Amino acid sequence: MTATSLSRTGSLGERLATIVARLFHINRKLPILLIYLYLRVGPILTNFVYSFYNSSVANPRANFAGLDNYIALFGDRLFIISLRNTTLFAISLTVFSVSIALLLAVLLSGKFRLGGAYEAIYFLPVITPMVAVAVVWKWIYDPTYGLLNFFLSWFGIKPVAWLVYPDTAFWAIVWKLIGYNMLIFLVGIRDIPETYFEAAKIDGAGSGQIFRFITLPLLRPILVFVTVISTINAYNVFTQIFVMTSGPQGAPGNAVRTLVFDIYENAFRYFKTGYAASEAVMLFLIVLALTLVQFGVTRQRDANG
Amino acid sequence: MKRVERVALSAIALLLVASMILSACAPAPAPAPAQQPAAAAATKAPEAAKPAAPSDKPVTLSLWGGFPEMEPFYKHVAEAYTKEHPNVKIEILTHPLREFEQKLSATIPSDTAADIIEISMYANQKFIEADLIPELPANVKAFMEEKGRYSDFLQSNNTYKGKKYGLPLFVGRTALFWNKDMFKEAGLSAPPKTQQEMADFAKKLAKADAAGTLTRAGHSLRLSGQGSGVAEKWWFILWPLGGTIVKDAGNGKYCAGYNNDAGKQALKFYVDAVHVDKYDSHALKHDAEAFELGLAAMLLRESWVIGDIAKKAPNLNYDTAPVPSAAQWGRITNPVNLYVTRAAKNPEVAWDFAQFMMKPEHMNWLLENVGWLPARGDIDLSAVLAKIPQFKAFVMSDPNYKEFGYPVIAPFDEIMTKLAERLVTAYLDKSLANNPDGIAKTIEAAANETNEILKKAGLYAECK
Repeated sequence: MTATSLSRTGSLGERLATIVARLFHINRKLPILLIYLYLRVGPILTNFVYSFYNSSVANPRANFAGLDNYIALFGDRLFIISLRNTTLFAISLTVFSVSIALLLAVLLSGKFRLGGAYEAIYFLPVITPMVAVAVVWKWIYDPTYGLLNFFLSWFGIKPVAWLVYPDTAFWAIVWKLIGYNMLIFLVGIRDIPETYFEAAKIDGAGSGQIFRFITLPLLRPILVFVTVISTINAYNVFTQIFVMTSGPQGAPGNAVRTLVFDIYENAFRYFKTGYAASEAVMLFLIVLALTLVQFGVTRQRDANG
Repeated sequence: MKRVERVALSAIALLLVASMILSACAPAPAPAPAQQPAAAAATKAPEAAKPAAPSDKPVTLSLWGGFPEMEPFYKHVAEAYTKEHPNVKIEILTHPLREFEQKLSATIPSDTAADIIEISMYANQKFIEADLIPELPANVKAFMEEKGRYSDFLQSNNTYKGKKYGLPLFVGRTALFWNKDMFKEAGLSAPPKTQQEMADFAKKLAKADAAGTLTRAGHSLRLSGQGSGVAEKWWFILWPLGGTIVKDAGNGKYCAGYNNDAGKQALKFYVDAVHVDKYDSHALKHDAEAFELGLAAMLLRESWVIGDIAKKAPNLNYDTAPVPSAAQWGRITNPVNLYVTRAAKNPEVAWDFAQFMMKPEHMNWLLENVGWLPARGDIDLSAVLAKIPQFKAFVMSDPNYKEFGYPVIAPFDEIMTKLAERLVTAYLDKSLANNPDGIAKTIEAAANETNEILKKAGLYAECK
């Protein structure tokens, strides 16, 4: 009896101590949580609410529009063009930037002279501000004085108005992403125990087999992470489009129109904030769905061994 | 324990979410008490003329503009005004136009904009319609309406539902820039007078290298780029042909004004220039920069280019001429006005400063040093014109030389931007060369889009 009571008392004391400790932890985390909710979750939820209104910046007393904005989206030529452009761009960019980055990471993972310098060079574009990068690319693409046309002229190629054509304007982003992806892959490869590679070599495996049967399977979580991040980045492409299409020599709006650019134009140029909010919701749902699919596929593969 | 933590966290999150949803659904807040008198004044009838602030009362005025090249002018007049009124301090801030328009969208509804803003009526229209911009006070209205001071076009451009908004400061007006050396080299002695001549001259003035690559445009047309500029430049060609972007259908309603022969001819003019006569190319530099670099022989542009040439290409041998005519003769005129906002704590001082800017000596300074044309029509500019004769084509008047400009309707920027995007695509499309059906279809599709935008804004009516 006494022993049981003591045990219970002790247990209650411990429980109370744990409650106090946990409440202390919650309180400690609370300011960060509140800031996060206020700055990140709040605007997202507000955006959801706005998407059901015919609101504009100039006229905040908006009318409730129900699903009208969403219905209008599917009849909007520019939204469909933006969706198509963004999707094509996202697929191409993800495939291209992930495969090149993986290749570079494998090459740089070995021990050789100036390896660190190469890593720094490839990573340098990541820390360069996007606006500066876009402006530099605009100069490179300049039809009259641009470096690209100048080099091509050595081979007798006539000047090309690169920024007027969509494909070239889009590709200026790719090399910027490669450095980031490469670094993540490099960390992943270096995290694989050296003994695996040594054992494979002893068994007579070649470089290709080592990559296929050791490096790639062990990099799978990182591959998913990089693919998800690249897809999200590709769907959010805006800055370089905005910078490179401005001015009289810029690319045509529709040819390089992306979802975020369309959202920006509707919200901050035509001031149709309700409509732009519904586009933002669509973008959110697309990125969410793609991310879930990517995670789902990987989990299934892992489960299947 | 985990349950306690989960419950606590869920409660906090739910509370926050609920408060955010509620705040999002709540109507917009009423103006702060301190701002209410100013806001109320906006909707009341304008009061009679008030004297400027007493000289002993310290006043700080803020002025925002969307044309960075105007900053020296504002500083110049602010200095002169402060000399006369030492108690008034004036703070000036200018931004590139598009960023400025966005800044106004955030600050005008919240009454946090500057005391004085400089903007076109068409860009300000959405705020005027939402009753966020005060009309002119009686004394400023009287100043504006004085006979001969502002043209009928400027008077009507600044009127909405019978009320006057904004005091016109300067205008963007188009003329033809032509390079005298290039004309001489091509055996041409005078600028073109008609649109047909302009195209013929451009063919003669264009230059290509041995490989056939265009190295100099006969006429630098706006072929690409973001925003509404492409459509505005197309309008320069469209209007003389008898078309326009939106046509007044009466009773405040409009329809697309280019789904006609003029629209088709204007598009053909551009397509021919690039794909048939090849006197302009996407692979060349464009606009004022091209003209200044000697990469273009002709350019239709506003008077600010004169100031730009003086800075960047002072040795360029060029002149200006009126816009060549076709079925009609005319030039675009875009007024840029000054408005005093609801946020102004001393609106009478703000208007006094705005009127001070309009003094003839300041308007002459503006023309000579910045290059924008004074909006006032009753000022003697002869001294500046004698010094810089290229301004003459911009200020010349002739009863047959008409003025056209942006209609004062809120969705006009959307109409122009969406039309511009279609035009850019059309200019790239080689299949439109010698293809009247293709041109007609392109024009019709664009006009349908324009009409749709007007319908959504409740501004559409079929034109007769």
